[in-house]
Amino acid sequence: MIIITRPNVTDAEVDHIRERIESVGMRTHLSRGERRTIIGCIGDESLLEGVPLLSVPGVESVTPVLKPYKLASREFAADPTVVHVGGREANASFGGSAITVIAGPCSVESREMLDAAASAVRAAGATMLRGGAFKPRTSPYAFQGLGLQALEILSAVRSATGLPVVTEVMDTRQVDLVAEHADMLQVGARNMQNFALLAELGRVRRPILLKRGLSATVKELLMAAEYIMANGNHDVVLCERGIRTYETATRNTLDVAAIPVIKRESHLPVIVDPSHAGGDAGLVAPLAFAAIAAGADGLIVEVHPDPERALSDGDQSLAPPAFARLMQQLGAFAAAAGRTLGQPSTSTRAVA
Amino acid sequence: MTDELRGPDALAELARCRDEIEQLDRQIISLLARRLALGKRTGELKRLAGLPILDPTREAAVIRRVTGEARDAGLPPEPIREVFWQIVGMSRRVQEAAGGEPSAPGEPGPRLEGRSR
Repeated sequence: MIIITRPNVTDAEVDHIRERIESVGMRTHLSRGERRTIIGCIGDESLLEGVPLLSVPGVESVTPVLKPYKLASREFAADPTVVHVGGREANASFGGSAITVIAGPCSVESREMLDAAASAVRAAGATMLRGGAFKPRTSPYAFQGLGLQALEILSAVRSATGLPVVTEVMDTRQVDLVAEHADMLQVGARNMQNFALLAELGRVRRPILLKRGLSATVKELLMAAEYIMANGNHDVVLCERGIRTYETATRNTLDVAAIPVIKRESHLPVIVDPSHAGGDAGLVAPLAFAAIAAGADGLIVEVHPDPERALSDGDQSLAPPAFARLMQQLGAFAAAAGRTLGQPSTSTRAVA
Repeated sequence: MTDELRGPDALAELARCRDEIEQLDRQIISLLARRLALGKRTGELKRLAGLPILDPTREAAVIRRVTGEARDAGLPPEPIREVFWQIVGMSRRVQEAAGGEPSAPGEPGPRLEGRSR
């Protein structure tokens, strides 16, 4: 249930409304927008039966939220959410007017390799660096990532370039360690419904990049976001990365329609991973263009200094010149969508 | 305090600030210990008076009071509310451990499962 207040509601009136709701055992969430203020009620709504909310001073309307997700739903927020990563000076935000591009290798293979990747993607205009430390691979015999060593390399490269970093966390036991080294924590597609992990990520003070599961519906993705938010972390960015269909010509099928659907259902930012969706370097640019045209708030693109020698996902990684070309072309698509392409911070000092 | 401190002086001042922060943290811990001890006592008293441990009306009043006080002190009210929901939740669990009836699922903060629906 959400309560919309009168336009000039006072702090004392808001406090009073929240006390009325909380005194029956529910919790409240406040969202103050430019034009309106929304008080979201969380918990058993039957507890509010018999509470004459409409007669409480400051209340304009009371509306039930019929969706199973509340905190993630569009109705709960007065304005779309903007998630800032790595401190405001890092220029990396999702959900505002700028489109933010995250780029980097699938996995961190060495300091030299990440240095090369970071300077190439930064020069091309990427605002954030990606790089896997722990890799969830389908085969237990495939390269599993460098783990802690990779986290330390990511930290060092972050300090040297000023690019905030995002890396995947696979296990509840790794959450604190990864949060120490990364500016944003990624939940991979295979872990989207790892509810213990999602709950743990609700307790960290780092933005979360939540990737859609291979066979997850939009509703299931939003319920996964709700898990993180219900545990206290409201900085969630959603990522469409292709879903499994009967089509075998592409690795996955990019669900372009999911972008406007999520925007309609939720106030959370949405980005797209065109590299995993197509599984083919040649498909990255067209899928990226489609994503921006459909309203995505950003992209996460795999770039490897030498794709032929990549230890994982070399086929879908762009080489630096191809990435630079993509970034140049994206500007026109961003402008057509009424957006701008985010620029990397000029500051190279350590963020976060 | 001056903004003109140079390298070594600024570092000395930083160390002094950190000492003071440490002392304040100790005071916060000792205040929390006292608050929880009082919570334990109220738990026993509620049991003697035949009252339930979970008292949402009282919890809501506590949160409203600290919200206003935080605002008056120039602190951001929302994070202070979160901190106090944690404290109220801890206090409730101490009361339960003191022999009262367990209340609804322990953690403070909004929950997906548990009391919802």
